[in-house]
Parts: sequence; C-alpha cells; structure tokens
Amino acid sequence: MSLLSFARSKIVGVEHPEQDTLLAHGILDDNIYSLELDVEVKLPLFEITRVEGRWRRYTTVECPHALAKLQNAVGLRIVDKEFGRKIRQVVGKEGCTHFANLLLECCDGIRQAAVYGEWVESQGKRFAQTKRDYCRSKFETVPGLRNSCIVYSRMSKEDF
Amino acid sequence: MVLCYSRNKCATVVDREDGSLLVRAGVEDTLFTGAVEMVVRVPDLEIVSVEGEVRRAFHEECREATSLLHEAVGLRIGSGVNKAINDLVGGPKGCPRLADLMLECVDQVILRFTFPRIKEVQSVKEEDRVEATREMLRQNPALLGSCVAFAPGSSLLRDLEIQR
Repeated sequence: MSLLSFARSKIVGVEHPEQDTLLAHGILDDNIYSLELDVEVKLPLFEITRVEGRWRRYTTVECPHALAKLQNAVGLRIVDKEFGRKIRQVVGKEGCTHFANLLLECCDGIRQAAVYGEWVESQGKRFAQTKRDYCRSKFETVPGLRNSCIVYSRMSKEDF
Repeated sequence: MVLCYSRNKCATVVDREDGSLLVRAGVEDTLFTGAVEMVVRVPDLEIVSVEGEVRRAFHEECREATSLLHEAVGLRIGSGVNKAINDLVGGPKGCPRLADLMLECVDQVILRFTFPRIKEVQSVKEEDRVEATREMLRQNPALLGSCVAFAPGSSLLRDLEIQR
C-alpha cells in the first residue's frame, strides 16, 4: 500500500454581509503548517480593507512575526494585474509564503463570488439574462475579467 | 450569515515504487469541480505526465482547456516553472483554474522534499531546535531571504555564516 508523503487541504468560505462588502475565511492545513485568515474586501474597487491571521502550527520561533506582514496587503486591489506578484512579495517573501498562498486563495474566492454571486442567487427565480449576457455585464464591473481565459476571450471577441 | 461561495481544495503526494512522485490536486467549489494528476520523475523533477478533468463548470467550453495540460510535459520543477505553466495552461487561451491546480501540484512536490528536513528539526530537543534550523539553512542556503524567519534581522541568522 502506498502512503501519502505529503497532503495539504485548503477551505475557503465567502460571506456577503453588505452590498459593498465580501468577507472570506480561509483555513490551510498540511503536514507542516496550520493557519487561518479572515479577509475583508470592499466593492466596487475590490480593495482589501482588513486582514487578520492566526497560526495553529508553525516551525520556527520567528514565524509569528509574519502575522504583522499581513497588513501589507491592506489597500491592495485584488483585481489588479500584479496583485498575485505583490502579495507573494510583501506578504510572502517579507512574511510567510503559506499565509500569502492562503490569502491569494481567499481573494480568488472573493473574486469568484463577486463575478458569479448574482447568478447563483438568481437560481430558481425568473432571470431574463443568458449566462453569456450575464458574464458580459460583469466585464464592466469586474476589472481583468475580459480575456482572462479561453471562454472570456471568445466573448470579448464577440463584442467587437 | 450563510455563505455565498465555498471552496474545498486538496493536494496530495504519493511516492511510487519506481521513485517517481504521483501528485494530485483537486478543487470543489460552488461553481467548479476539477482535478489534475501528474507524475514527476526524481531526482530531476521533470513532469513526465499530466492528466486532468473539469467535471463541473459555469461554461461548457471550460472542459476544452484540459487538452492544454499535456503542454506541461517535459517541464522541470524549478526556477521559471510557474510562469511556464501560467503561459501554457492559463492565460487568455487557457484556463486559470487548471493552471492553478498544476501550480498547487508543483508546490506539493517542493513541500514533499521540505517535510523530512522540517521533521528532523522538530524531532530534536526544544533547546537545540534553533541550532538545528541553522544547520538546515547551512545545507539549503536557497532558503535565505525566502520568508521573515530567514530574513536579515531574524534571530535564527544571528552570527550565522553561510557559503552561498
């Protein structure tokens, strides 16, 4: 029987408490590390307004100092082109790469919720828009969505 | 307050009898279910096979992107691999969700090799642990500057001499 030599799990949940606010709670747990994050993002700018982290399991006496570096993410916009690179630098390299990893996971969850949330909410109700029209309408409100993948590249071409 | 979106992601590594690694990453969220499985040769860490599937997605066309996964065969896990995966599998002609699962696999391979060293450090007495960490740094100088624990000013680096 083959044993697992390494395993990592991540869980992200997103709440939408106010029209202009999305909140994510994330957990990362693997053979080495265990950590948690809460992230608040404000719309329509998709700006991070609050981050809080907690360690459950870490490896060195210096790891707790990484928590303060999470504040480097406040003020950044999750839809900016260089967002991932910035987080990997100012939260990851200057703090902890695993917190940066979980923060990006949480922010991606928030982005998905912002793009598709209204569609999910509309299920079971009368909704006139087709999926394509719905997504096209999001091109105007979610920066960076246009041309972001094979499907949205095709839709962007259809627009012109 | 109920959730408007939830995501579960899991990644694993299995050491195979021939010495290679079988790496899997899967995600299930409100909108998407997908998985990637790759075999990585050791010690050169070349990706020798990649397979993947999109079981559920907002758009039917998302499944087409799985054909791009084989483009990553031949890449070596090391400097530049993340950009190569994003260029080949993600981006405007691909699927960022599948690229993300591949990057998750790459991370797991690195952590698979980090884990025994960390385990060794953790196994020594608490008062010897700082010195054990410093020894790990001497053996792996690439870790220097990789995080706050291994940055200038860290107590772990005080008077530490490392030949890079």
